[in-house]
Amino acid sequence: MAGISQKPGGGGEMTETPSKSAMLSASGFSRKRRFADLATGIVTGSAFLLTLGVLAWIVWDLVRMGLPQISGEFLTGDVKEAGRSGGIGPVLASTFLVLLCCMAAAVPLGLGCAIWLSEFVRKDSRWGRLVRAGVDLLAAVPSIVFGLFGMAFFCQVLGMGFSILAGGLTLACMILPILVRTALSALNALPDHLRLSSAALGMTRTAMLKKVLIPAALPGILVGVTLGVARALAETAALVFTSGYSTRWPSGLGDSGRALSVHIYDLAMNIPNGSARASASALVLLLLILAISYLASILTDRWLQKQTGTK
Amino acid sequence: MSAKLRITDLSVSYGDFAAVRDVSLEVLEGQITALVGPSGCGKSSFLHSLNRLTDMIPGCRVTGEVKLPDGTDLCGPYLDVLSLRKKVGMVFQKPNPFPHSIRKNFEIPLREHGISKREVPEIMERNLREVGLWGEVSDRLHKSALNLSGGQQQRLCIARALALEPEIILFDEPCSALDPLASGVVEDHIAALREKVTVVIVTHNLAQARRIADRVAVFWLQDGVGTIVEVGKAKDLFASPAHPDAALYLSGMRG
Repeated sequence: MAGISQKPGGGGEMTETPSKSAMLSASGFSRKRRFADLATGIVTGSAFLLTLGVLAWIVWDLVRMGLPQISGEFLTGDVKEAGRSGGIGPVLASTFLVLLCCMAAAVPLGLGCAIWLSEFVRKDSRWGRLVRAGVDLLAAVPSIVFGLFGMAFFCQVLGMGFSILAGGLTLACMILPILVRTALSALNALPDHLRLSSAALGMTRTAMLKKVLIPAALPGILVGVTLGVARALAETAALVFTSGYSTRWPSGLGDSGRALSVHIYDLAMNIPNGSARASASALVLLLLILAISYLASILTDRWLQKQTGTK
Repeated sequence: MSAKLRITDLSVSYGDFAAVRDVSLEVLEGQITALVGPSGCGKSSFLHSLNRLTDMIPGCRVTGEVKLPDGTDLCGPYLDVLSLRKKVGMVFQKPNPFPHSIRKNFEIPLREHGISKREVPEIMERNLREVGLWGEVSDRLHKSALNLSGGQQQRLCIARALALEPEIILFDEPCSALDPLASGVVEDHIAALREKVTVVIVTHNLAQARRIADRVAVFWLQDGVGTIVEVGKAKDLFASPAHPDAALYLSGMRG
């Protein structure tokens, strides 16, 4: 857009300046403007390079320090000497279970809430505004507060104790705002003619949602889910007080279990000579997030193909 | 010719804004009734109230009577809106196929109305032939409908509406978003529906109304609210309109 709208302005400049002196000043002016474009290119380009550099540096650091530590034994073995030796098997198992509890609770709740707000409530209604404000407020609460809330509510009031279930549900509360916000904007971005044409064909709202709106909004919803997964996997503070830091193999959702990010924090802060192992664990965490988002996109692509009937 | 829809004193308002007031009209069975008139005088609001799409707009209120020959009042509070919309189909200004395959565009609404998956291909083929689209798309039924051209998409939407075997189809400026050639093709297929279904079409194209309509109703603003100022057989109305505003409008002198 910007590129196109500049052209007529630039052309008009030249045609409206018939006299020679005016021509000269116009070309000086346009040189200035061309310099502005050059400067913008340089500034944004350096921002890009800098960002890329920071990312590359982090990844390189993790690979350099962590990769030599990673082996089959590291991925599946028991935690020994508080993590200095052995592996991260039980930690990975606990991480998966916490994530499972979290997503199982947060995805249906978040999606349901977004659907209600976008399809069943008038955009300007008091309820809609109240929930939207609440969701934004929740998004701004620091994770440690969620941890303390989770400990008070899930662990004590609901009697779950230090458990994977309590940790997962606490994380679910934390990522709900992300899920609601992204799903809501994906649904709001859908053109209204999809709703009108479904209604004009005598479809129920439920069918409209299931067959037309959700498939169309799915790519946007998936972005939210992926962000949510990454946020949940990266969380430490909310888990220390809820799922705890036991390094035993979890035998169920009622057991206490240490998540990968808590393990990394512990290795880096509390264990002397733990930093190599912390890097290895962080590398595993990074790969895990990549793998999960890749898997999620493949699964949704398949589901979408089936829903839209396209090959 | 019997009346398919008998509309009495229909008014549509959005909150405090009155869009249509006291419109009465008989839509005759098997005919094409064109609604013409300048923009913003309530033609679309009127059309959308005939299959209760106005229900979708918060704050929209419709009063009056719209009766089918069997006495059902389409504005009644206990009406089964979903079966009404099967009976009274609609095609919109902007072609609006689902962002799905061509096959799914038929399968989704047909399955909604209790037709088994086995019957879908046959119904789809019959209706795609009806709008002259079968030959163009029969080898890519699994491709997204959004890959079709605007005119093809609009014909797909007509075929999709026809697939539910409606008794009445409402067209809301179906050609105004298309290029002249595609517009001509779509218009021919609408004209071909005469006597098979009852058609009500809103159009800004007076030449189009003259070509295809049996009856024409002219909408005009009176005291800032849309209403019908003149109705009649297309031939008579274009030859000798009685209402002064309608006369200027229809002769192309105004509007």
